[in-house]
Order: sequence, then structure tokens, then C-alpha cells
Amino acid sequence: MTMLIHILQALLIVLGAPLLRGVVSKMKARIQRRQGASIWRPYADLGKLFRKEDLAPPLASPVFRIAPRIVFSATVVAALLIPLFRPSALLGGPGDFLLLVYLLALARFFLVLGAMDGGGAFGGMGGSREVLVSALAEAPFLLGIIAVAIVARSTELAGIVGWTLHENFFDVSAVHILAFTTLAMVAIAETGRIPVDNPTAHLELTMIHEAMVLEHSGPSLAFLEWANSVKLGLIMSFLIGLFLPWGMATSASMPSIALSVGIYLIKMLALAMVLALVESSVAKMRMYAVPDFLGIASATGVLAVVFTVFGGK
Amino acid sequence: MNILAFRSCLIILLGVPAVAWLGGRWGRRLGWLPSGVLMMGLLAGILTGALQLGSSSSLTVDLSDVAPFAFALEVDRLAAFFLLLICGVALPVILYARSYLPRHYDDVKSQWIWALSPLFLLSMVLVVTSASAFSFLIGWELMTLLSAGLILLDGTSKERLHNLFIYLVMMHVGAAAVAASFFAFLPVSRDLYFSSIRASSLLLTPETRTAIFLLAFVGFGTKAGIIPFHLWLPKAHPIAPTPVSALMSGLMLKTAVYGFVRFSFDFLGGVPGWAGYLVLIAGAVSGLLGVLYAIAEHDLKRLLAYHSVENIGIIYMGLGAAMIFQANHIPAWAGVALVAALFHTLNHALFKSLLFLGAGAIADATHTLDIDELGGLLNRLPTTGITFLIGCLSIVGLPLFNGFVSELLVFQSFLAGSTLKTLPGQIVLPLMAGVLALTGGLAAACFAKVYGVAFLGRARSDAAKTAHEVPFAMVSGMSLLAIACIGLGIFPAPAIELLISLVQTLIPAASLPSELFGFQRFLVPTAAAVLAVTLIAMLAKARRRVTAPWACGLPGLTTRMQYTSTAFSKPIRAVFSVVYKPDRKLEILPADRPYFPTSISYRSVRTTSFERSLYRPMVDVVVALSTQLRRWQTGNIQLYLLYIFLTLVALLAVVGLQK
Amino acid sequence: MDIVQLAAGKTLSSSAVFLLLTVLLLAAARRVSTSIILFGLQSAIITAQVMATAYTEKSAEAWVVAGMVFALKVVAIPSALLWLVKRLKSPRAVQPAISGAKAVFVAAFMIFLSYAVVQPYAREASVPQDALAAAVALILTGAFLMVNRRKALMQIVGLLVLENGIFLAALTTTFGMPLIVEIGVFFDLLMGILIMGVFAFRIRDTFDHLDVTKLRRLRG
Repeated sequence: MTMLIHILQALLIVLGAPLLRGVVSKMKARIQRRQGASIWRPYADLGKLFRKEDLAPPLASPVFRIAPRIVFSATVVAALLIPLFRPSALLGGPGDFLLLVYLLALARFFLVLGAMDGGGAFGGMGGSREVLVSALAEAPFLLGIIAVAIVARSTELAGIVGWTLHENFFDVSAVHILAFTTLAMVAIAETGRIPVDNPTAHLELTMIHEAMVLEHSGPSLAFLEWANSVKLGLIMSFLIGLFLPWGMATSASMPSIALSVGIYLIKMLALAMVLALVESSVAKMRMYAVPDFLGIASATGVLAVVFTVFGGK
Repeated sequence: MNILAFRSCLIILLGVPAVAWLGGRWGRRLGWLPSGVLMMGLLAGILTGALQLGSSSSLTVDLSDVAPFAFALEVDRLAAFFLLLICGVALPVILYARSYLPRHYDDVKSQWIWALSPLFLLSMVLVVTSASAFSFLIGWELMTLLSAGLILLDGTSKERLHNLFIYLVMMHVGAAAVAASFFAFLPVSRDLYFSSIRASSLLLTPETRTAIFLLAFVGFGTKAGIIPFHLWLPKAHPIAPTPVSALMSGLMLKTAVYGFVRFSFDFLGGVPGWAGYLVLIAGAVSGLLGVLYAIAEHDLKRLLAYHSVENIGIIYMGLGAAMIFQANHIPAWAGVALVAALFHTLNHALFKSLLFLGAGAIADATHTLDIDELGGLLNRLPTTGITFLIGCLSIVGLPLFNGFVSELLVFQSFLAGSTLKTLPGQIVLPLMAGVLALTGGLAAACFAKVYGVAFLGRARSDAAKTAHEVPFAMVSGMSLLAIACIGLGIFPAPAIELLISLVQTLIPAASLPSELFGFQRFLVPTAAAVLAVTLIAMLAKARRRVTAPWACGLPGLTTRMQYTSTAFSKPIRAVFSVVYKPDRKLEILPADRPYFPTSISYRSVRTTSFERSLYRPMVDVVVALSTQLRRWQTGNIQLYLLYIFLTLVALLAVVGLQK
Repeated sequence: MDIVQLAAGKTLSSSAVFLLLTVLLLAAARRVSTSIILFGLQSAIITAQVMATAYTEKSAEAWVVAGMVFALKVVAIPSALLWLVKRLKSPRAVQPAISGAKAVFVAAFMIFLSYAVVQPYAREASVPQDALAAAVALILTGAFLMVNRRKALMQIVGLLVLENGIFLAALTTTFGMPLIVEIGVFFDLLMGILIMGVFAFRIRDTFDHLDVTKLRRLRG
């Protein structure tokens, strides 16, 4: 039964990710007083891309075609680590949050390699910007999780979520507030949303992720887009699981699982709304303001770790 | 059996030079002879190491009655691990050298290299298995001299001699410090056999222990390449022949780690807390600065040399954490940190040698090591490209490769720092995890640059366009190392078990925490899952077509329109510009008619040399201070407010400190 | 315990963290209007704290003080300063001496310092450690803002943040000063703001800018 729940968790993130993207885009459109495309549009896009040809430049190496698949599989396997309905997941173990961070890093590494293999300037440009953002985002990412892990006295994601589940919402500690601020900023950088990167950019001046996927087409591009949506879904679920897990089922019975699925969907919807609001109200930062942004995240992360000692609720 | 293996290893290593000379006399047909015999010797060494790691008794070879001084060798668990490391990693390198050397050096030079390399390996074996200070110091000195000789064989231009000179000077400074730290035991120890040193360490006064530790830190730090003693590394490693560079970077640096571990954990039996913090901070600084300097390089070998600085920094961070835990009486986590540091030592030896061999293969195929001249090599050198990719993935510490496991363990031990009871450690250790994460992120940036620019995309020069795959022996040497990297990445348990039994002899602990084995629960399933999903994704059949990429309406993209490594690393260099202080010179001629220039020249020289970034800021600070002093009497409102602010802070500090 | 009591307790204990967040954001803020809004936010949090104290201590005076803080520091002063910014029409972003991420690290260090200093006190005097440390951090940040930024308006904001810190310190250690003292302090503050506002206009009219480092020309 637990295995079934875990598989269900994995399937929901992977198959539901495009829907999440569609919902966020629809909300953004509505906030900006546009009609917006249907929330099922990303599925149609994926289907269209899977039916198209896979183009490659003449001198590209096998990496060009393999990299998108590796990006997809690394992101999907990372999604297997996140607890959604229950404080446990398909994969897990002591120190698994490091596996999560580094699987995402593996995906990003191959994304950059696939971009460089295009043989044009776009790939290199997107790659160089992406490695800057990700290099600076790793430290606050880990510091935020470490601060929460220290307070929860566990190094497993499932353990941390379980600990938070047993705490009172109103007993939220300074560490959690600071860690949430850090991880929220890192989440924006990792998923490539405004104000760090524009997911719907058309001008190379403003592209980071888009520049890297520019040369890919057909199924390769489909896998990359899907992986991007899965990454958004998994990071949002990660934030919810770490800081707002209340509502998760503590027993494996059907009714409690059904209830926790419903609560999870409501929480994701709320977070999507927040994301849409943030994306619609701030402008994208210029490239060299991103290190400042991530520096603030790092300072907050450092403070979060410092506060684990100074304590106080 | 064990003693037989060990003795045969030593004798064979000693005898290969003779074989090389003989082989030279009998002609090229027997060119395989020296390498074959050497590999047999290394196999004997591997056998000894593997057997001894599992056994609780140690081997001894005592020649003190034969030699005029105390010359004794002993293979206990720590020595066995390093012996296994040296012989195990040297084996593929020698296999590689088998075909590399004839292609690049004439017969005479090849003979010399085959004569000196086994002696070089023998000196390293001597260092890690010695049981007396004299044999240790002999081995130490021989390492320096033999590597210098091998560097000289590669050429004697003025610049090379200058770099070699710096190398020799710094190595001897380090050797002097190491010798001094041995001799500091003399007042209390009967003689300088390791057993006497160990027994007498209890009789040392705290001041002497401090002195010994600091001397050992400086001496071994110089050899290991910790900042600020790293000056020689990027000068010496690139100028050696490729197999020798691999041996130097992969193995010689590890002997320094061996020496430092031997001193701190075995002889001194643990060091005070502040020493652990010193090692931790030195490691963190080396890690961060090493990778930042590496990002700015585009000469492949110098880049890899700076990455050695970074990885030694990571090893030292693990060692520092172990020392801190030991000083705070938490032997369980000290053991974990030490296991992590030693495992990273093994991993670094593996993937650094792999990367250096790959660099040699690139040089062999394209005759250049400047990655800005390369490009598209994966199509021309497929096996080299795949093994180099595995090396890159391992050094960055990505999952399913060995670098990830050791970094995972280091992170775990930093996280456990929060269980310390006293203030500095509780915060500093978890914060070091942030530093390690930053280092890892920057390393990923650097190797994405290296692989993307050199192997992917399109060739930027004719040399890269016409490159051919390297011979089988070279490729198989690299493949052996690559397979080891993947194997240890997915199934590290056997190595970890052996390391645990090793560490228990140094830091006995009742039981090691379960986090040490956490990876067992998820490594294999993760590997299986990633493989499965990738294969399923590959099955998605699609029509493929090859077509030129979009060139924004131009007739076509030239290869110079791709990003170079300088361009790729520019954002990071811009953000971390405090670390790089380039000398830029822009000259427009003629100077009096700037709008009608006849020539414009731009020169940018990166001074990553630490001496200039150490001395120059100091002078700047002094000058700035004196300028500030002059400015105290001004009409500047802000300064007046600053006085008030400072008084406030001082009051707070005084009152706070009084409590 | 009824819900209001619970909320009051929660406010007192968690507001310190939010104040520290505003400290970090103030260090990073580039525009004067952002800093003014952050100051208004800070004052709102402090108002909430005063109200919570008023509820738990059941003191009518504290309610009056809360009202005054709200009226003055959350509504009046920020709107006046924003009006001033609009009237002065000075260029928005003037580079501070230490900017961006470095300034935030300085702010984080100051927070760490204030905690380290406050810890021995808090244990003895049984004062809530968080709130007092936040107060000290506000004082240090206010002073840091005055030193770091070059526009005259930022000096005003810095002084206001400093005053917030002093007020909070008084609140946590003595549960508020006597009402008459409070009124006096507020009056002084109001006078100070008015005078500085007038000066800002004069400086701008004479020099065409508000960069205080250039006022050194007055030295002669």
C-alpha cells in the first residue's frame, strides 16, 4: 500500500507538472487582464513536439540528443524524493536532500552540455549565465535545508517533514522563517522564474534557460520543457513539504490519503497563485543584479544557521 | 604471502630501471618490457595493500642492520590504504604511458623516463610505508628530486627552468619543516622509529605539540598545495610529461595527506580544537580560491592543477572536521569525517589522474592544450571523450560517480557539527557546508566550460578538425580509471567498509553513526531509476534530420561565433572580481589623434599569483589608512555621524564584554 | 487561553524575526522610497507589539502609545517623506558606499553581534532575548544606513530606524516609558523631521543635488 502511494506521488508530479505550468500561466494572464491560453495547453504543446522531427546541427555529437533525455530522467528521479501525501517518498535515506540538490545539478550540467553542443552562440551564452546563477544558488539552497534539518534533528527529507508535521503551526521558529525566505529566493532562481529569468523570453538579452534549449527541437525539446515543468512542480512541493506539511496523511488509510491529496492540491494552487502574483508584479532583474539577489539569500541562509544556535521561538 | 608480495613489489620497482636500460640495448622490439615488468611490480603492491588493509597485524621490512642508518618499513592499515592507492592508480597510468611515451619522446628520453618513473613510484611507496623518520625523509627527498628530473626530461627552456626552480625551493622548504617536526620528537623519544615516536608523544609538553603540529601543517601543506603554499602547483604540474603529471597530481599530493594524517592522528594522537579550525579554514580557503583560479584558466593542465588545489582543500576540510570532533570527544563523527576525507583522497587520485591522462590524449591528438583552440573533439575521439566526461562528472561530485559519495559524507559530518556543545563549532561547521556547496557549484561551472568548449560544438582550429583517436593502450588506461570512478560511485560500500576498519585504528569509536551508511539505501535505486528512465526516453522514436542551426539570417555560423572559455567564464569572473586582479593595458596609437587611430592594442594579464595579491593589498591598506587618517578633520557630515556610531558600538562592546 | 491572548503571545515572540528581515531588506534596498516603505512596515510591526503588550499588561496608556506610533510612524511620517521624495525629484538610485550583497552581509553580521551582546543580559534580566536583540540590531542598522548612504533623505530614514530601535528597546525592558515621555519623544521626532525636511529643500536648491559627500565643499 505504501509503495502504491509512493508511485502515485511520483506519477502525480511527473504527469501533473505541465498542468501546473498551465495553471500558473493562466493565473498570470488573468492578473494581467488577458484571456490566457487554456490550462491544458502545455499537454497539447508536448504532444505536438513529440510528433515533430528531431533536428540536430551537422557537427553535433551524440551528447546533443542524449543530454535532454538525461536532463529529464535526472529531474524525474529527483521528484521521486519528495514527500507529497505522506511524510515518506519512493527514494530516501539519510542525507537524501543532498541527493536531491545534486540530481538537479546533474540535470543542469547536462543541460549546459547539450546547449554548448549546438555550435552556436546562444548555447554558450545561456550556459555561462546558467552556471553563474546555479553556482551562487547552491550555497543558500543547502544552508536553508541544513538549518531546517538541524532544528528537526534529522537528515532525511521524510524525517524533516515528519518532525514539522508534529509541530504546531503557531510555534514557527525564527529558523523556519529565515529558512523559508532563503529557500523561496533560491526556488525562484532554480526554477528560472521572474525576477531571475523569464520563462517566456524572446530576446537573447534576457534569456537564460530559453537560450539553452533554443537549438533543440521535437522530442528533445519536449523532454526539456517537461523536465522544466517537473522541476517547478518538485521545488514547489518541496517548499510545501518542508514548511507547510500539515494535512499530510499520518496513516495509510484510503480516506486520509484522499484528504491529503485534496489538501496538497489546494496548497499547490495557493502557491501557484503567489508565484503568479510575484511574477506579474516585479520586473526581471538585470543579469548582474542576480548575484546581489542570491547574496541576500545566502546572508539569510547564514542567519538561519546561526539562529539554530541562538534558538528562541 | 603478504611479505612476499611486498618484497617483490619493492624489488621489482627497484629493478625496472635496469630492465629499461637492457631493453634499450636490445632494441625497440622489447619496448613493452619495462612497462610490463613495472605493472607486475605494481600488481604486487596492490596485492600487498589489499591484503594488509584487511589484516590487523602489520608487515615489517627492517634493513637497519644492513644500512648504516635506521631504515625500516612497516605496512599497517593506513600505509596499506595509501600503498593500494598509489599502486592501484599508477597501474592504468603506466598502461597509458606504454603507448604515450614512444609517440612523444625519442628512444633515449623514453629510456630515461622508464628508468626514473619506477624509482619515483618507489620513493612514494617508501614514504607511505616507512617506519622510521630517516626512511621517510629519504623517500620525501627522492620524490622531489626524481620528479624534478622527469620534468627536466621534457625540455629545458628558460621559463621551464624558472618554474622548476620555484618548485625545488618550495619543496625543500616544506621538507625542512617536515624534518624539523620529526626532530622535535628527539628530546623525548629514544630514536626516530615511528613506534618510539608514537610511544613518546605522551611525554610532550603542550607547547612542543603545538610546534610539531604547526611545522607538520606547513611542511605537508606545502607539498599538498594548500593556499598560501600552493604557488608551485600550477607551475610544476603542467610542465611535466603527461603520465608524470598524472602521477604528481594524483599520487604525490596524497603522500602529503598521508603524512599529515600520520602526524595528527597517529603520532600526536589528536590535536586541540584550534588546530582543527586552522585546518578547516585553510581547506575552505584553498577550495574556494583554487576553483576560482581554475575557472579563469584556459590551459587545460594548469586548470587541472588548480583543481587539485581545490580538492586538497576539500580533503583538508574533512580532516579539520575530524580533528574538531576528536578534540570535542565525539569520536564517532570524527571517524565519519576521517573516512570521508580518506575516501575523497582515493577518489581524487582516480579522477584527477583520469583527467590528466585525458589532457595528454588531447595533446597527443591535437598538439595543443589551449581549450580555446579545440572543439568538437567528442566526434573525433569518442572513447577519450566518454572517459573524460566521466572524469568531469566525478570531479564535480554529481551523483552516481565517486566524487558524490565522498562529498556526501563530508556534508554529513558538517551537518553533525550542530551536535557540538560549544559555540564556534556549532555554527562554523554547518556554515562550512555552504562554502563546500559554493565550491561544488563553481567546479560544475568550470567543467561545464572545459567539456563544452573542448569536446562539444565545432572545431575552432584545423588541429581539432583533423584529430584522431589515441591508441588502444592509452584508451584502456583511461577506461580502467573511468570504470573505477563509476564503480565506486554506485557501489562504494566495500571501500567504505575497509576505510572504517582503517579509521578505527586511528580514532577508536564504539559505533559509527548510521548516517555513514545512508547512501546504501538510495544509490543503487537512483542509478537504476536514472538508467531506466533514460532508456525509456531514448526509445521515443522520432524522425531525425540534420540541418544547419539558425544563423539569424546570415549565410552561416562560423566556428569563431561559438563561446570561448574566456567568454563562458566571464560572468563568474566579473562577480568574483576581487579575486582576480588583471593588469589591463589599452593602447591607442597615435596618442594625440584619438579619433584616427592607426593601431589599437589591448593586453590583459591575469595575475593570479598569490604573492602579488598578498603584498599589494597590504600596501594599499596602509596607504589607504594613512589617507583616511588625514581626512579626519573634515566638514563631512557622514564622518561625524560615523564617530557617534563607533562610540555607540564601542560602548556596547565594552559593556557586553564586561559581563 | 482565548485566541486573542494566544495571538498576542505569538506576536510578541515572532515579531522579532520579521523585524530582522526588514533589517536585511533595508541594507539591500536601493531606492529611498523602498527604504521609507520598509520603515513604515517596521513601525507597523512595532505597533502590533505595543498593542500585544497593551493587551497582556492591560494598560490603557500603552493603547494610547500604540495609537500614536501608528498615526505618526506608520501613516504620517512615511507619507510625508514620500511626498518629500516626489517633490525633490532627485535621481532615484545613488550608489551607496557598500552596496548589494556585501551590505546584507554587514547587516547579518550586525544581527549576529547584537545577539551575542544581548545574550548575557537577557538571561539575567529575564527579558525576551529576541526582542531586545532585534532592538539593538535596529539601532545598529539605523546608524549603518546613515553612514552608508549618501543622500540626505537616507540620513533621515536612518535616524528614524534608529529611533525605532530605541523605542523597541525601551518597550522590551521596561514595558514602555511613561506616557508623558513618549509624547515628548514623538514631538522631538516630529520637529527633527520638519527641520531636516526644510534643510533637504535648501540643500537641493543650493547645490542641485542631495549628495552629502559633496557638502564637504563647505569646508572652504
